[in-house]
Amino acid sequence: MPRVAIVGAGMTKFVRRAQETAKELAWEAASMALESCEMTLDDIDCVVLGSAPDAFDAVHMKSEYLSDGAGAWGKPYIRCYVGGGTGVFAVIQGWYHVASGVFDTCLVVCEEKMSSCMPHPQGAFLTIFDHTTERPLGPNLLWIFALEMNAYMNRYGLRKEDIAYVTVKNRRNAADHPCALLGDPNITVQDVLNSEVLAWPVQRLDVSPISDGAVAIVLAAEHVARRVTNKPVWIEGVGWALDTAYWTNRDLSYPVYVEEAARMAYKMAGIKEPRKEIHIVEPYDPFDYKELHHLEGLLLADRGKAPEDAARGRFDRDKESEPDWLPSSPSGGLLGVGNPIAAAGLMKVAEIFWQLRGEAGKRQVPGNPKRGLAQAWGDLMQVGTVVILGI
Amino acid sequence: MATLEKVERITEIKAWRGEIPLYGRYTVGIAGERFFREIKDNARIMGTKCPLCGILYVPARLYCERCFSKLEEWVEVPPRGEVHTFTILHLDLEENHLEKPQILAFVKLEGADGGLVHYLGEVEPEEVYIGMRVEAVFRPKEERRGEITDIKYFRPIGGVATPLGVD
Repeated sequence: MPRVAIVGAGMTKFVRRAQETAKELAWEAASMALESCEMTLDDIDCVVLGSAPDAFDAVHMKSEYLSDGAGAWGKPYIRCYVGGGTGVFAVIQGWYHVASGVFDTCLVVCEEKMSSCMPHPQGAFLTIFDHTTERPLGPNLLWIFALEMNAYMNRYGLRKEDIAYVTVKNRRNAADHPCALLGDPNITVQDVLNSEVLAWPVQRLDVSPISDGAVAIVLAAEHVARRVTNKPVWIEGVGWALDTAYWTNRDLSYPVYVEEAARMAYKMAGIKEPRKEIHIVEPYDPFDYKELHHLEGLLLADRGKAPEDAARGRFDRDKESEPDWLPSSPSGGLLGVGNPIAAAGLMKVAEIFWQLRGEAGKRQVPGNPKRGLAQAWGDLMQVGTVVILGI
Repeated sequence: MATLEKVERITEIKAWRGEIPLYGRYTVGIAGERFFREIKDNARIMGTKCPLCGILYVPARLYCERCFSKLEEWVEVPPRGEVHTFTILHLDLEENHLEKPQILAFVKLEGADGGLVHYLGEVEPEEVYIGMRVEAVFRPKEERRGEITDIKYFRPIGGVATPLGVD
């Protein structure tokens, strides 16, 4: 099986409302990715597009709509969609296009323009619940996060302030990201704890913002990658798993599907001791507790211990002296950079790419990290997608 | 497999009623903004030309989909062209018979790669033919809002004529 590398990446700013059309956003990110590795569309064999529900862009058949902006004219092209897990899954799909040996290169583009969705993207989430047992109750997406967060907190006796530190860390990290929507170097745990309660225990600052944006990366088979760049970043492992769609038949305090996806990826990458062999991580953080939940599912923290680890600075970008130091969401994550669903997931992969190449600018994690992991999560809270990158 | 002949009273059978309570608000984008402002302010149809591929995109686009060049050369396209294909509409979207059938055409604009789908006016269904030369009829400036319907319709140039070689 050919080795596959990421050789280029690009992203638009993440903003609340973009004037650009969804196509124009996709084009901007895709052209930046190509330019970053001095390639053109002629060098691209196939295109993978990731985008979350059609409803977010308020366009039906988004794959067809976004195809020209994604560079798919006259090329084999496919869209993938696994809810919030899409951004990382798009990389997996691009990977198997190239790893299969059928294609030498693949352009992976993820886009979301949620400002088109009126009156609010929550309206799209209202209909993801079961139509007879749940929808009559008028559920909102925040409900399931609140129920899950409460189950998680109660199971391990967690403190809200330890969880809130994730928002603080990520928003501070995002202050150094030129594309970030909500970077804030001065935010405190108290700010999070004082923010409006939306659905207890979820408060306003526990949540990432809805956003518009696009991200793209270029994948290449080894023989092409070595010609294109002297700093290829290899896809060493991929994993994905789906739990039951009946979310009321799951243990909400632990994301077992993330663990299954992670184990698949670790095995492929030959990783036996993830906490020693993974140097940086970008876990999916649409809510602050989700980053911690996912770090546990990824086996990078003990169950119920991630909040305490976060509070002591184990996941900070620059606390090298901290025991078992593991910089988490050095980009600023969805909480800080923004959350245009599919684009946010791919942003996490792009961040690991830039970090491993030493190109993350002010966000650069010290100590020359050699291997990183990006993870996303979605559908009705039951899909886990994992990519492990290394140099 | 169990089947239902028809569902007349939703309350008496195991069915559910639901809707996705959404609507869209779309920006016309970077290229679209200028394209529609030109229609609104100047009754002009603009295209953008790709410096590499030579394609003149109408409506104007920000980038060339074939080579990804950013398109910065704006070119005015004459508001005329020819009917590439057409259809005669007899029913509305609720399947009501239209009192007067409407003509919908794909008009290829002169000098451009592409064109617009629009209604034809000042012409009868039996008079239309593929290849017919047509021009845009813009609404008066005070009625124009920066929308594709600022063009009222396309009409035959110089009145209705017959195609060359026919009649």
